[in-house]
Amino acid sequence: MTESATVTRRNFLAGTGLAAGALLSGSALAACSSQSNGRTDLQLWIDITGAANEKYFSTHVIDVFEKADRKVEVDTTFYQGQDLRRVIQTALQARSGPDLVRGASASLTQAWSKAHTLADLSSYAAKDHWSSKISSWALKPFITGSKLYALPMRVDTMLLYYNKTLFGQKNWKAPTNRDELEALAEEAAGHGIIPFGATNVDWSAASEWLMTVFWNHYSGPQAIYQALTGQIPWTEPTFVEAVELLQSYFNKGWMGGSTAKYYSVPSATMGAQFGDGKIAMFPQGEWWMSSLGQFFGSAAHNGNDWDWAPLPALQSGIRYPLYEIGVGGSLGISAYSSHPSQAAQFLNWYYGDTQQALQRMADVPGTYNIPIPFSASSLPSGMDPRSRRLVTATQQAMATGDFGYVTWTWWPPKSDTFVYQGLDQVLTGKMTAKEYCAQLNQIFRQEMKAGTIPPTLKPGRYQA
Amino acid sequence: MTGPPVGTATVEPQASTVADSAPPAVRRRRRVRPWLFLLPLILINLFVVIGPSIATVYYSMTNWTGIGSAKFIGFANYRRAFDDPNVRQALLHNLIWFALFLTVPMALGLFGAYLLSQIRRYQILFRTIFFIPYVTASVVNAAVWQNILNPTNGIGVALGHLGIPGIGHVSFFGSPSWALYAVNFVVDWHWWGFLAVIFLAAMQGIDPSLYEAARVDGAGRWRQFRHITIPGIQPTLVFLALMTIVWSLKVFDYIYIITNGGPGGASQVVSTLMYNEAFTQFNAGYAAAIGLSMSFFIVIVLIGYFYLRKRGSKI
Repeated sequence: MTESATVTRRNFLAGTGLAAGALLSGSALAACSSQSNGRTDLQLWIDITGAANEKYFSTHVIDVFEKADRKVEVDTTFYQGQDLRRVIQTALQARSGPDLVRGASASLTQAWSKAHTLADLSSYAAKDHWSSKISSWALKPFITGSKLYALPMRVDTMLLYYNKTLFGQKNWKAPTNRDELEALAEEAAGHGIIPFGATNVDWSAASEWLMTVFWNHYSGPQAIYQALTGQIPWTEPTFVEAVELLQSYFNKGWMGGSTAKYYSVPSATMGAQFGDGKIAMFPQGEWWMSSLGQFFGSAAHNGNDWDWAPLPALQSGIRYPLYEIGVGGSLGISAYSSHPSQAAQFLNWYYGDTQQALQRMADVPGTYNIPIPFSASSLPSGMDPRSRRLVTATQQAMATGDFGYVTWTWWPPKSDTFVYQGLDQVLTGKMTAKEYCAQLNQIFRQEMKAGTIPPTLKPGRYQA
Repeated sequence: MTGPPVGTATVEPQASTVADSAPPAVRRRRRVRPWLFLLPLILINLFVVIGPSIATVYYSMTNWTGIGSAKFIGFANYRRAFDDPNVRQALLHNLIWFALFLTVPMALGLFGAYLLSQIRRYQILFRTIFFIPYVTASVVNAAVWQNILNPTNGIGVALGHLGIPGIGHVSFFGSPSWALYAVNFVVDWHWWGFLAVIFLAAMQGIDPSLYEAARVDGAGRWRQFRHITIPGIQPTLVFLALMTIVWSLKVFDYIYIITNGGPGGASQVVSTLMYNEAFTQFNAGYAAAIGLSMSFFIVIVLIGYFYLRKRGSKI
């Protein structure tokens, strides 16, 4: 055996000592990393995708905040939406993870708060008067007991986007009721145009957007409120009929061309068809507004333009316009954060600096529309009129009481999951609409018994 | 078993005598030293494998949602899994997957390896080409095939335009009757080249004189393949078949990326169902029970393999 291959006790101890030293110094560095140069580092994991969107967030949110508050730095890590939820939940369970916690939906945030992984924000809310800075209705889903656990990140609603150029060429008008909608769909299909774009390839939960639309505009917000508060079951005929109506649209080939295409054509392809006038309308969330431009005009070399309209009433007695309202996720503070007050400073700035917030709303349509009070005249002058119309229309809907309920905010977690996974069973013929509603009702009752129903917003008028 | 060859018997006691004559401290050090080298790995293993495994066994007997505290519920999750039609459906899909995954890429791999073994020029080029899908990330492969089989502008549409009937409007990943087979096709496509290269390496270890002798005896290519090649690569063949069985039970990434188990559960296998239960349905305890049940099947396969090895099979 050669000398170099022999491990003496001295060598072994020296090696072990070096390794232990390296480990300890690594830990020490990690400990120091959250407080460097006298500034506190906050961790934020967020689901913003695409280089341009990430750049905007870094320069127009994080950099601006760090200039405003020179004692805090925010380290941002970008994730895909579905991944973020998993990694944050795993990290929180391990008592680690980011200081600022992005929740995917109100019902999920509530589940996290019940597991005591989110810090109580009530004291910060009282100190910084958040109730006057943020619309009260939007805080409601994040209150458990009397404690506030997160803040609403975005006002969500569903819209009917349409190819404005195509509509102009065919002399079509945005439909306001079911008769007009179905007549338009028949006519479009007759011209070889797919009436409605729809796909769940890139987001498996997309089916719940459709159920949100059909329950709100067919069954109506009043029936939904009664079901959410346990006064009536989900097996009521109005809910079953709404599912059957959606199913009939699929069976006619109106939704995305066919059920099979709904499950296999990516949203980019579907969007391109919409931009080219091969699809007439697209029921989608307001968040789509920020990426819709890539399918129209000079960006897509088709010279076409788009617009949006409120979704039509699908039954008589349902108000028009009606906006189903919810919040697109939340921002909270981890119960395991070492710097909760600095994290609260960030939240206070994000929601409290109205001018910056309105500028973000104007810069990126349908993405940064946080629920804060504002007057239409205070919106930046260069704002896209379609985006301006969106933020004022949703605010107006809350003021007049013409609002409905989106599933991802007001439904409890397991029921919400079943809304889209169960609908897939209906659309593929494995379950009837009646069985779907019966199973939903069963899951909902179990969750109601377990106390996981988010606080429900009563029908009424809500001033911002 | 016969005894040791004559001569060795005189050496071993000598070595033993040397060891025995060492002072007790030296003997102790010799015994401890290998364990010290193993210690870091044992510690890592304890933290990253054994610890989570024990935790999984525990959580499989709880109603844990994936976050927060867990309540012990005994074997309720296992009983539920036994009665769950979704688990039965997923198991059936795993069986279909297993049957396809064990036969199609293996047959293609053997065929490809045999063809490659017959050529000398450009063999490296073809080996590389065969191997590329295997080393390409599953996300990339999945995206490529999603585009190729896109029902709006994919290959099916193009073939339909060329007049091939019945294919122009097929949504391979979107149809409940096609989805599982379509994803399996993508995985077979990514896998068979790897098998071909491994089989080729094994074939190159076969003594060429056996083929010469067979040719002299008048054996054709098929008989040579059957009676020389297959027995010659038997250990590789059995090992890869075993790994294929294990991998087909664990299949996850391609299904998760391409169809996410859909549409309506049409391509759901046990691993995607488990993921769905843990991270979407908030039933992490139940998911742990499903996962452990699956591990049980894998352990049975491995026990069978090692049993055969112990009995002296050339595997």
